[in-house]
Formats: sequence, structure tokens, C-alpha cells
Amino acid sequence: MTGTATPAHGTTAKSVRVRRRVPTRTPHQAAKAGGGRLGGPLAALPWALPAFALVGVLLVYPFFRSVYGSFFEDNGFTSSYTGLDNYARLADDPIFGRSVLNTLMWVAGTLLLPVLAGLLIAVATHRMRFGGIAQLIVVLPFAISGAATAVLWNFMLTSDGAVNQVLRGIGLDGWAQSWLLEWPQNTLAMIVASTWQATGLNVVLFAIGLRGIPRETVEAAELDGASGWRMFRHITLPQLRAVTVVVVGMAIVNSLKAFDMIWILTKGGPSRSSETLALSMYRETFRLFHVGYGSAIALVLSMIVVASSWMYLRRQMPDTGPTKS
Amino acid sequence: MSGSRPPSLDRRTLLAAAAAGALATACATAGGRPSGEVAVLGDSAAWEKPMTAAGAAMKSVAALRLVPEVNPSLESFEQIVRSSLRTDKTPDMLKYWSGYRLQDLARTGGIEDLTGQWDKAAAKGWVEPSLREAFTYRRRVYGLPMNLAYWVIFYNPRVFREHGIDTPETWDGFLGACERLKKAGVTPLHGTAADRWPSFIWFQEILSRQDPRFYQDLMNGRERYTDPRAERALRTIASFFDKDWFTPMDLSHTDAAAALVRGTVGMVACGTWLGSTLAAAGGRPGKNVDAFVLPMADPGARPGVVFESSALVATVKGPDRTEALKATGTWLHPTVMKAFAHTLQDGCPNPRVEAANPVVDGLTRKVRGDRLWLLNRFWEQGPPELVEATVDDLAGFLLNPSSYRETLRTMQDRADDAWQVWREAEET
Repeated sequence: MTGTATPAHGTTAKSVRVRRRVPTRTPHQAAKAGGGRLGGPLAALPWALPAFALVGVLLVYPFFRSVYGSFFEDNGFTSSYTGLDNYARLADDPIFGRSVLNTLMWVAGTLLLPVLAGLLIAVATHRMRFGGIAQLIVVLPFAISGAATAVLWNFMLTSDGAVNQVLRGIGLDGWAQSWLLEWPQNTLAMIVASTWQATGLNVVLFAIGLRGIPRETVEAAELDGASGWRMFRHITLPQLRAVTVVVVGMAIVNSLKAFDMIWILTKGGPSRSSETLALSMYRETFRLFHVGYGSAIALVLSMIVVASSWMYLRRQMPDTGPTKS
Repeated sequence: MSGSRPPSLDRRTLLAAAAAGALATACATAGGRPSGEVAVLGDSAAWEKPMTAAGAAMKSVAALRLVPEVNPSLESFEQIVRSSLRTDKTPDMLKYWSGYRLQDLARTGGIEDLTGQWDKAAAKGWVEPSLREAFTYRRRVYGLPMNLAYWVIFYNPRVFREHGIDTPETWDGFLGACERLKKAGVTPLHGTAADRWPSFIWFQEILSRQDPRFYQDLMNGRERYTDPRAERALRTIASFFDKDWFTPMDLSHTDAAAALVRGTVGMVACGTWLGSTLAAAGGRPGKNVDAFVLPMADPGARPGVVFESSALVATVKGPDRTEALKATGTWLHPTVMKAFAHTLQDGCPNPRVEAANPVVDGLTRKVRGDRLWLLNRFWEQGPPELVEATVDDLAGFLLNPSSYRETLRTMQDRADDAWQVWREAEET
């Protein structure tokens, strides 16, 4: 036990020796001739193969197939090689430009609203009486599917819907809008609807983070006279860093692939004004049967997702880089 | 662990059983339905009962039962059809669209030529002959009509009576009705861009009343969207907006049907299939729900009405191909058609079957009596990818009616590209 727990500061040679001394779960195998090879780095391969196969079939192959497909003009039945034409078309397509803009709005909106609201609600209800109940109420919408949320918000956001009726009821007629019909308010309204649903998960994650802050740290800060905003700024927030990294990372990825809410509320319309990249990809590929063009959009979206996730995680978690070895 | 049988045997038995189960399932899928049954894949849950009724009726006529399979998502329905048509996992029969959408499918070579079935039915007087063109590709018939919905204006006769409005017989009568309703505080017309596709409705209705010949030519790529006649149609719609005759553009058909029955919306333009939605909202045919064919704006033009008819299609690679072909032979039989149309409560492509719904029956008599020109719906006219894109353009126009010139230019640019692609594909 102790041997396994203390290798961190040793040299490379030392750590190898430590590993050899560690009793394995199958000592009779290790004792066989060539047992060193079995215990080597390749030993895990048979166990990892099913996972590799699954990821390969469901992720890696489709990815490269899409890259390949994006060089073709393909209507689902016939295809012809057109090189980078699909990408050139992307640059000229105003709908693609609008999609990128909407996607960026979703990223910014999702980072700003549900993350901030989640943090504030979690902190405000952390030590509050009945705080657990308050949190539960906020978390409840997260239990509803995205599609059901969209149907619910459809009742709220149509021109004769609940939001406008309330506004008219309290004399704010001028504020009543056709929320889903005009850009950019349709995208903004849907971001708000999505915030209503997504905040719950962030509350849960932040609440877990808050409970993980050592009591001693808080007490020490209190003894030093910290409270209120200073406590939040200098103690709570830094202590929540690990959770925040996860929450923000998830928010970025989720907003980039926002689909169900938009599809049900506006179908990306009217006049394709509220489409995000995920919707444009779906519409071009499966409604208009521009399979090659859809693949090109999918590739651009994938690159944005991977690049932003990589940059974010690299910035937030520099210790996990390859420099360690 | 210490039982009489080693645990590996148990596992082996279990695996064998699972494999056998999977194999059995795979065989069942590949082999289609049991003998005497043919599945019909459709995109509408509302058609499940009518299809079951037709299937039961067919049992008595041809010892074959049609079994409905529904995928209510339009998108995934089309994906299944498109992706499976070239494989032997394709459905035996489909409820598809007529017009260019059917042609697009026929082009793949994946669906059966049903010209023989059509000719036999036509010889017996079992099918409206003027529908043939909507189901034809390269002079062969690839689908049999299932329903026959007319595109009409629904209204609430009680509301009309209250405000002293007669059912419009002329274009001026229609405009007058709108004005009277507006004065009475009733929103005269339902217009909508919700759910995307309905954006074409008013363009189709107005254009086909102002110049049906031009409508037909424009839809078939023989005329241009930038033509003054197309501009006139959009200007007419824009004038309706100026007079504030339309509902908000995000009012769905379901909500509009309820508003019509309640009396807060005056007229709803839709296919006669809206009848079931109106009935669900409390509408009673002849009492608080009725319909008329929008009168011609140009009295000199040949009077027409827009129709919509779904196509029953048999696939080439379906597992029950023989039975599917046999079923197409009896689909238009009056017994089968009656069971289907009466359950659906819509019009019937077999002239020998009278409509069960009095509103649809009245419209059918009007269409036949006045020999109205049957014009296919916007959705089925023109290459599907062009139609899909132009409805978005029309939605843009509905939300910004002053943009009509720009909209028409955009539509023409799209049409130029789409028709070129369509014609190139035609030559190959």
C-alpha cells in the first residue's frame, strides 16, 4: 500500500522499481515467463478495445466520413467531387453568417445567464433556511426535457401568449412583442427560455462546490473579518474554481449544440433567422438534401466546439498538459 | 458459484438465447409482415385510423390487410424513406406527396410503376381522371391518390350571420366580408408563418385567383417570380396587412381553428383536412363551421381550386412487394375508398364515393358542378428543395410585407438554380 502511494517525487527509475514491487491482482500470471510484457503498457489493450471500437465506429469514422463527404456535391443519391466548393459557398452564404452569429449569441448568453444565475442562487440559498427547497424549485425545470420546455415556452412567447397577456394586463402594452417572429429577439427569447431550464443543473453543481469548501477556511476568513462581498470575492469564488471550470465548459459545449429548443419553438425561422450552426447543418443535410454542404457546416461546427473546448480547458487547467512527463 | 453447473454454461446459454432472439428479430424485419398483411408507412397520426379502416375493408375485397405504421415527424419520415429506399429494409408502401415530390422519388427507381393499376381503376370510373398528372413522371403513374383535400376558406356561419355577411361569391364580396369583420372587431384572416410551411398559403391562394394560368406556369418553372403578376399578388397581400386584416403570424392552425369556432378569427385558409382539427375544437359542420372556395379575383380567368392529394406508393425493394402490388390494385375500390375517406372525413379521389362530412360534400359538388380547374398545391409544385427554400422567403415577406420586390428577386434567383439542377438531373 505505502509503496503505491509514495512514488510522486522519485526519479523515473525509482518509480519503475516501485511498480515492479507492487503485487498485482493476478500474481500467478506475473510469475510466468514473459510476465513483464503482460504487465506492460499493452496489457490494458484488450480491455480498452471495445471502448476503442465503439468510439471508432460512432465517433471517429463518422467524423472522417463527414470530412470526406464535405468535398462532394451530394444530394443523397448522386454525388460528385467538387473540392473546396462547399467551403467557398459557406463564405458567401448569408444564412451561414447569421447562423454563426446566432451560435455566438447562444454561447455568450448561456455563459452569462445560466452560469451567473446558477452561482447566485446557489450562494444565496446555501445557508438559508428552506434553502434546499428553494434550490429544488429551481432545479425542477432541469428534470423536464428540452422538447417539453420548448412546448411550454411556446405558450408563453407567441404574440397572444402568456408573456404578452401579462404585459398588457399590467398596462405595459408597449413592451408586448412578437417574441419569436423577429431577429434578434427570437434568439434572445429562446436563450432566456433555455436559461430557465439550464440554471437548475448549475445550481446543483455550485451547491456541491459550496459544500466542499472547508469549514476551517471560512472560519479563518471570518476571524480575519471577511464577510459579505469580500468573503464571496476572496474565499467562495476561488474555492469554487474547480466547479466553475466544469460548469462553464459544459455551458460552452451545450450552447454550441443548442438544437431542440430552437427546433420546436421556431424551426430556425421565420425565414431562417434563428438558425444556429447545428440547425443549419440539420436543415441543409436532412431537409434540403445538400449532404455535402451540411457536412461542411458540421465540420465548421465541430472545429469551433473542439477549438473552444481545448482552448478553454488548456487555459483553466494548465497542470494537465503534457509538460508533466 | 458452487452449483452443479458451472456458471460459464449459464452465460453461454444466455448468450445463445440472446443471439437467437436477435436473429429472430432481424429475420422478422427482413421478412416484412406476416402473409396477408402489408404495412404502409405514413407521417400523420391522424391517418392511422382511416388507414386501419381501409385495411379492414381491403380484407373483404382482396384478402389483404393494410397495417398503418406512423412516424409523425416529417423530417425523420423523409429520412427513413430516402435512406432506406435503396435497401431491402425499406417499407412496403408509403403515404407520400404528389407532384414534384413524387417525381423526385420516382427518379430514384425505388418505387413501382403503377400505371396499370391507374388505368384499370380509371376504366371502372374509380378515380378522378384530372388528378393523373399530379401522380405522373415521364408519362408513367407512380402513386395512387389517397385523399382529395380542397384548399378553401373556412368560416363560422354564425359569426357571418351575426354581422350580416353573406358567403362571398365574388372577389369584391370577399373583400367586403373582410371589411365588415374588421369593423365588427373580428380579425378577418388567419395568416401564419408558424411551423414554416404555411407561409405559402396566401401567396398560393391570391395568385391562383388572380391568374391561375400564371400560377401553374410559375410553379412549373415556365414563368418568373419577378413577373409583374407575381408582384401584384404580393402587393395584394401587403394591402391586407395595411388594413390590419391578419392575425399575428405565429398563430398556429390548431389555435386558429379554435379561434374560428370561438368567433375571434373570421376566416382560415386551409385544406379541407383542417375539418378534424375544427371538430376537435368544437366545430360542427354547417352550424359553426363552413367553407367556401375563394372566388376568382379575375372573373375572366378559368375558375379553379387548389387541391392536395397524398400518394400511395409501393416500393421496389420492400419485403412484401407482391402483396403490396396486389394492394395497389384494389386501393381505389369504392369499398376501400369509402372506409378510408369516411373515417378521415375528407374528400375522396374516387368520384363514386360521396363525402361523409357535409362541408366537404358541398365543396365537392361545387368543384364538380362548376368544373373547377384542379391546381396542385404550392408544396407539391416545383423541385422540393426550391419549395423548401421559397417558403422561407415567403415567411420573410409576411413579416416584412414592404420587402416584396426583394423577396421575388431572391425567389427567382433560387428558382434559376433549382430548375437548372432539376433539368440537368432530368437529362441524365
